[in-house]
Amino acid sequence: MTTFISGISVVCFAASYLVALVCEASRPLFRSGLRGAVLVGFAAAGFLAHTLFLGWRAATEPAVPLSSAFDWYLLAAWLLAGGYLWLLAANPRTQVGLFVLPVVLGLVGAAELSSRAPFPQSPATQVWGAIHGSFNLAASVAVAGGAVAGLMWLIQAMRLARKRSPAQGLRLPSLERLADVSGRAASIAAWTGAAGFVSGLVLNAVNRRSGLLETVPWNDPVVLRMALVVAWLVVAAAIGRALARRPQAARVGAWLSLVSLGLLAASMLWGILGTTRHGVPPTHAATAREAAP
Amino acid sequence: MTLAFVGGTHRTVPLALRERLAFSAEQAAEALARFRDRFPGRELVLLSTCNRVELYAAGERETVPPPAEQLVSFLAECRGIEAALLAPLLARESDEAVVRHLFSVASGLDSMVLGEPQILAQVKQAWALAQRSDTSGPLTGGLFQAALRTAKRVASETALGRERLSIPSVAVADFARGVFERFDDKRVLLVGAGKMAHETLRYLREAGARDVVVVNRTAERADRLAARLDARPGRFADLIAELAAADLVVSTTGASEPVVTAELFARAEAGRAGRPLVVLDLAVPRDFDPAIGTRPGVWLYSIDDLGAACEANRKSRQREMPAALAIVEEEARRFMGDLHHRSTAPVIERLRAGWSETGDAELERLFRHLPSLDEAARAEIRQAFERYAAKMLHPPLESLRNESRAGPPHGLLDALKRLFDLKE
Repeated sequence: MTTFISGISVVCFAASYLVALVCEASRPLFRSGLRGAVLVGFAAAGFLAHTLFLGWRAATEPAVPLSSAFDWYLLAAWLLAGGYLWLLAANPRTQVGLFVLPVVLGLVGAAELSSRAPFPQSPATQVWGAIHGSFNLAASVAVAGGAVAGLMWLIQAMRLARKRSPAQGLRLPSLERLADVSGRAASIAAWTGAAGFVSGLVLNAVNRRSGLLETVPWNDPVVLRMALVVAWLVVAAAIGRALARRPQAARVGAWLSLVSLGLLAASMLWGILGTTRHGVPPTHAATAREAAP
Repeated sequence: MTLAFVGGTHRTVPLALRERLAFSAEQAAEALARFRDRFPGRELVLLSTCNRVELYAAGERETVPPPAEQLVSFLAECRGIEAALLAPLLARESDEAVVRHLFSVASGLDSMVLGEPQILAQVKQAWALAQRSDTSGPLTGGLFQAALRTAKRVASETALGRERLSIPSVAVADFARGVFERFDDKRVLLVGAGKMAHETLRYLREAGARDVVVVNRTAERADRLAARLDARPGRFADLIAELAAADLVVSTTGASEPVVTAELFARAEAGRAGRPLVVLDLAVPRDFDPAIGTRPGVWLYSIDDLGAACEANRKSRQREMPAALAIVEEEARRFMGDLHHRSTAPVIERLRAGWSETGDAELERLFRHLPSLDEAARAEIRQAFERYAAKMLHPPLESLRNESRAGPPHGLLDALKRLFDLKE
């Protein structure tokens, strides 16, 4: 069994999600009695392989479980894939996967480009590191989920405005459901994003005070881009709340959610390609200080 | 001939004659009882709907179904219509064509509204009545079971019955459901109460709508309508307030000018707190100024918009026809294969009996020669003989089954009878 689990690779579940996406994309084109089973089978198999892969890494990596950038992206993808499976079971006729699965695959791709080395941690910073990572994870998933709902809202609204029956071709959830999901996701993203940023500041301060690990300077690209994203998420949530009793609220909310995802994606790309001292292993001096009695 | 069919539909029989030809449930039961007495041993299912009256008769060997002309006379006699008047209007089919026809009928492919689902329930009822009247047997039983299976396949494997075709159903199930997730927390406002509004309200009630307000220019009429529709009466003078409170409006007044102008709606809009509004303007001329549909959060559909969606759905159903016909063809072939195979049963029975008799005689002889054998050994030898007989018979029986798929396997049956000297 362990040989089987250890043999699961990123390609296994990414390929399963890709097949599920192709099935979703073919739904408006032609009917097939077999496709539903293939779709559910591959989506479920992908999620199972994804779960086993993360479980195996958590159990076998010597550092704190799932504490690398690679694991972080895969966790975000796993949460979205789980949400997709739940939606698939609850509303099998809607084609939510056409929108969720590209994001899942994008996150898996980002994971492949990221470092598998765990972020350096000391016993003093482990808790704050976990809090920081969890809040950022929740914020990212909320942004992605909200943007998916927002995009579906815009497409559904366009079809309804053009008097085209929503029952023809692409099947999407109702505007009411999509606006609700998008609005809630914006609030969650703002709160968890802010909490993630603040916990990052605390983590940095703990590092500086204990002198165990390297601290991240204020002008580090990671700090700047995260500050920008969090500021935008808070502003977007505030705008959404301010417009709550206006007829344009859902449309504006949908566009704001797409901008949020764009900013987050740009920020992640910057994180992957740019230079930073965030998550950099301690220098010799710091290691020597930690080792000293 | 095993299966016979006689029937007329909306395409061949004029409405006036169709009305005379139609059977009530009691009349259908009487007709089946009369058939049972007149044609003992034959099977009959009578399908009578507002668009068709059809007789499906079956029988085999000594009790073949009555010829088509006798069925026409029987039908005419049951309904008190001159047979000569009816005969040229009725279709007649036999065997495989009957199977194809019934499968198409049950799947809604022969209906006035392509793919309509009610016909399936009517086919089930017709078969159930024949079962209760003792005129359905193994042949019609198998035929109707296969018809129901075909209809189920057509419904699940094609989109034939999926898209809605009536304006009220499209308005609610497609457009209103595209905007709202649920209706039990929504306020429905009926402005006027034309026939279309009643039908639309029925769909809304099915979708969960509870809070319904009816406004009409005449307060008494609004009260009467509200009582009949289990709704709350509103005052036409309060239309702006009612529009502000509503989530979904169904408008069907007979007014010659728009009842809700853009200015009037702007006053209502202020009190809506940004909630989305679906307006189903089913009146001709329109009750809502079309400019209202450009307001944010307002989804306004006129009868022409909904009619265009219905037409698109109708075309979509037409596109599914080839796939549905392919299923009917496949199921009809499978059923005919089973039916032909069924006709080989007496020969197979005689063949098995012959082998069994020979085997038993040989076993008796063997056991007499070997009296020392205990019961366990005898049972083992008996089983070996049975397995040997089954294996030897398997290839010819399989060939019979394969041949049955293409048609009645007369050639093979004759060969078997001659080779194994099987007597009738």
